[in-house]
Amino acid sequence: MGYGDEGFTIYDLLLWAEGLGITLWIFILSTVIGLVLGVLIGLVRYYHITILGKLLMIVSESLKNSPVIVQLFLVYFGIPALLQIDMTPNMAAVITLSGNTAAFVAVIVISSIESIDRRQLEAARSFALPKLVILRHIIFPQSLSIAMPMLVSLAINQLQVTSLVSVIGVIDLTRVGDIVNQRTFEPFIVWPLIGLTYFILAKLIAIVGMRLERKFSAYRLVGEL
Amino acid sequence: MIEIKKLHKNFGDLQVLKGVDLTLKPGEVVSILGGSGSGKSTMIRCINGLEGITSGSIFVDGFDVSNKKELLEVRKKCSTVFQQFDLYPHLSVLENITLAPVYVLSSSKKDAEAIALDLLDSVGLADKKDVFPAQLSGGQKQRVGICRALAMRPDYLLLDEVTSSLDPEMTAEVLDILKKLAREGITMISVTHEIEFAREISDRIVFLDQGRILSDLPKDEFFAGDGGLADPRIARFLSKMGEFNGQA
Repeated sequence: MGYGDEGFTIYDLLLWAEGLGITLWIFILSTVIGLVLGVLIGLVRYYHITILGKLLMIVSESLKNSPVIVQLFLVYFGIPALLQIDMTPNMAAVITLSGNTAAFVAVIVISSIESIDRRQLEAARSFALPKLVILRHIIFPQSLSIAMPMLVSLAINQLQVTSLVSVIGVIDLTRVGDIVNQRTFEPFIVWPLIGLTYFILAKLIAIVGMRLERKFSAYRLVGEL
Repeated sequence: MIEIKKLHKNFGDLQVLKGVDLTLKPGEVVSILGGSGSGKSTMIRCINGLEGITSGSIFVDGFDVSNKKELLEVRKKCSTVFQQFDLYPHLSVLENITLAPVYVLSSSKKDAEAIALDLLDSVGLADKKDVFPAQLSGGQKQRVGICRALAMRPDYLLLDEVTSSLDPEMTAEVLDILKKLAREGITMISVTHEIEFAREISDRIVFLDQGRILSDLPKDEFFAGDGGLADPRIARFLSKMGEFNGQA
């Protein structure tokens, strides 16, 4: 079963599984890193830590307003040349998508925090509650509840964006589709199946997201008396 | 003792407080009356540092409000009940009350909950301990607000127009609780529109007009015909409130 064979083989399934694994790995890693960085950026900007906040704002604005594919090329080719280090395609993919996710998360974090009723924060301060307790026990849970729908749709969007990493040579799900398609010449079987895989992943994220949303929003969904 | 001296507070060009002097002794209940824009809410917000002061000084048991470290001590001594309740909407009634005792007074969760339950029981809301604020009526929310304030075992209770967002029936249920507290000897400073309530609980009535104290009199003198009422501005205010029938 070498090159030139037509039709699908069991190895295509293994290839599919491998591509799926890479896509998931890049997605999960960049989402986690992006979340952590994005929350930190958001907090720095919320608490007006001036110089750092402005610097981060410039970085995150440029990440939001330039094509991910350009960012991928910049990271993959630019960073190794600039810093004289080796960079695998997978590393470049995770770094790029983490930064990109962080930029969007930061915006969500700030808008969520700002939509919390200020007066209860004053009340908390008036009881001498420390800043960190207010952040952890009052600001965080409420902004999480407000941010959850936005974070879920961002995650679904970033999942689709991972398909771009194939251009720098990452063997992700999309690249696997390309490989199998080139061998089998069955685009109308290959691409719907690849598309369906992304669709199912997106649906899973949406379902988990909806559960979390409901959990964190219980206090807002109870009926008014 | 709360000592306010020559307190000025400006918001930009607007002078809200123009040199207020006021002393509150332990055990005293003082009501601050005055029209809207007289600066009475601003004054109470200056005491717990929610508004910075422009000039003058406020000391609470010797702690300086304008000193960041000492302000924390002030805030531990003064608990505020707010006009709009300002409960934490994502926490249960019980958690609303125990948050500050646990994290500020370092009470154990168990102790804090026991105290909170006692307080809830005393305001008739023990059965509401696990619901969210959104599930309560305005009057119930404010009763929880009072419990939250009392759970800190404050030396001073600051009441910032606590019944202004409530309808008359709910107002009555909240005022009943505050009257009971006043009788128990808690030190209170209350900004209010409720003249009858002020008359019932206060030792002293302070009348604020355009950022200045117009009169600061023992209750009986304030309501006497030749006392505070002799001032036409106060008489006009009281008649406007419609709650005062001109008893001399």
